[in-house]
Amino acid sequence: MKLFFYKSILIFVLFLTAFHFSFGYLVKKVKTEFNSVISKEQLEKAKNKIRDEMQNAVKKDSYIKTEDAIIINKFINKIKSDLEKNR
Amino acid sequence: MQLDFYKQKNSVFLIIFYLVALIVVFINLQDFGIHIEEKYHRLNGLFWLNYIAELFGLTDLQKITEIKIKDISDYTLSPVSVYNKYGIILDLPAAFIEIVFKINDVGQIYYLKHFIGFLLFLISSFFFFRILNNRYKSFYLSFFGLFLYLTSPRILGDSFLYKDVLFLSFFTITLFYFLESIEKLSIKNLILLSFFTALSFNLRIFSIFIPIFFILILVIKNFHLKKNSIIIKKIIFYFLFLIIFTYIFWPYLWEDPLNKFIQLFTSIKNDLINVKILYFNQFIQNRLVPDTFLLTWIFISSPIFQILFFIFGYCFYIMRFGGRYLKIKKNLIYNDLWRSKGEEKDFTIFLIFTSFFFIFLLTNAPFYNGWRLIYFFNIFLIYFGINFLHILFAFYRKSKLKRNSIVFFIILAISYNIYAIITFHPYQSIYFNSFLSQKIISGFEGDYYGLSAKHFFQKISKIDNKKSITIGVASHTPLQRGLEAIPTNLQKKFIVVGQNYEKADYIYKNNISEVNSRLNKKYEIPINFSKIYELKVNKVKIYEIYKLKN
Repeated sequence: MKLFFYKSILIFVLFLTAFHFSFGYLVKKVKTEFNSVISKEQLEKAKNKIRDEMQNAVKKDSYIKTEDAIIINKFINKIKSDLEKNR
Repeated sequence: MQLDFYKQKNSVFLIIFYLVALIVVFINLQDFGIHIEEKYHRLNGLFWLNYIAELFGLTDLQKITEIKIKDISDYTLSPVSVYNKYGIILDLPAAFIEIVFKINDVGQIYYLKHFIGFLLFLISSFFFFRILNNRYKSFYLSFFGLFLYLTSPRILGDSFLYKDVLFLSFFTITLFYFLESIEKLSIKNLILLSFFTALSFNLRIFSIFIPIFFILILVIKNFHLKKNSIIIKKIIFYFLFLIIFTYIFWPYLWEDPLNKFIQLFTSIKNDLINVKILYFNQFIQNRLVPDTFLLTWIFISSPIFQILFFIFGYCFYIMRFGGRYLKIKKNLIYNDLWRSKGEEKDFTIFLIFTSFFFIFLLTNAPFYNGWRLIYFFNIFLIYFGINFLHILFAFYRKSKLKRNSIVFFIILAISYNIYAIITFHPYQSIYFNSFLSQKIISGFEGDYYGLSAKHFFQKISKIDNKKSITIGVASHTPLQRGLEAIPTNLQKKFIVVGQNYEKADYIYKNNISEVNSRLNKKYEIPINFSKIYELKVNKVKIYEIYKLKN
């Protein structure tokens, strides 16, 4: 009984420690990464970045290349016509 | 009757030491600022006093408390019902004293609480001294332990703030009766142990592990004693009194005790704050602190000698414990894990300390403001440090030179603590190890209690004579709560506008932010402000003042 008690305690502690430093550690790391990516500050940073990019775009004479503009135009028209057909 | 002059001399020495400590503290008490949660604690005390007055039909007391509660207002303060579960041990008697002695100056009420908090800390230090003296039978070693206990700068600084050190104080007394009960399971010891366990539990919920450790040690001891029925009876007796005392000293449990008790545990997740904390110059989530968080904080904010003594003492004990564990056999004439009464105490302390450490580690316990939630670990740090010195003295008992060298290090440790306390005054609670560079120190949270608010308002009132001054706050610290530390006529001069910097004449900034201030600009100083003052104590930046440019 006594030896069983001491061995059980040791195994229990070792198991918990091993679990913490393996699976637990991984979960914590994922949570930390996830937290740092979707945190309020990061989202704010992303929004600011988009604003800056838009600001830059407005300042430039031509933001999109002529070939790209033609393709985008054709693409929008195509979508428009498809939407019209299926109204 | 024969007088024991040795003991008498030591007692006189201790009494003089305590008197000097009391006088020094009494003189310097008002140098300390008001911490940001004082208002809440006062409200908590009055809330429960009002509850008791209502319950027992004390209408006068009920009316007074109601008036006082209405007078306490602060837009940053959550309703008292949100945080009213803990800590009535000091808040409630302090509210009672405030009313009985008709203390109306809020500043004086706070300083009275600071003094009571320190007094309790001082009383607990005597229990710590007795723990050491019972173990090592050496007055000077025990006194050295007592000295470290009282003069660890962070702990001493916080002892006036009656929060985490209040728990440390009650935990120390609980530990004393824990050790006494393990040695002798007398009715008196068990009642006192259950009484102080209940009080500790009232202050910090994780004290619930104390009864579990108590049972565990008794089970291990019983492998040798083989007195099952007696031990079971004593455990039942202890639990019975523990339940009674917990109920009596916790008005929160008076109505619907079982459900309220369960709620204590279920509400932990919601009650604990969820903020970003500065750690090694990175903003991390307080609920996802790295495993090294506690040890790092302990090492950077405890005196170096204390840490070194502890490391050696703890490592030595682990080796001894490992040896004892490996030698456990089915039939032993000794206890399995200790050989003497002294070693039994070492094992008890080791078990409690190590278990608590692993519980916090394995449950990913959330922390903030450094290691203040576990300041009670300081008891164990010092205990193992003294253990190391005790072993050294025993090992070198024949070499006078080596013994004197150890004494030299002890004197060095004492001198260092005195030096740290003096140089950091009155900001001992923000102490960092002197061996750290300023760059490392500034990568950690500083004045989280907002103690510098008092100094800040006094400073501004000296440099600006305007009738009304608006103050912006570039910090998570609710600065306006610190106004109560200055005289009422001065308080009226200041209008705190938070982060509305466009309205501010001056901006207060410290190192506390609940958001990542590198990405979130809410605490960024506007370009039309310039720094005019910085309070720095021994490499630690306490706060800065920015003034609106003309």
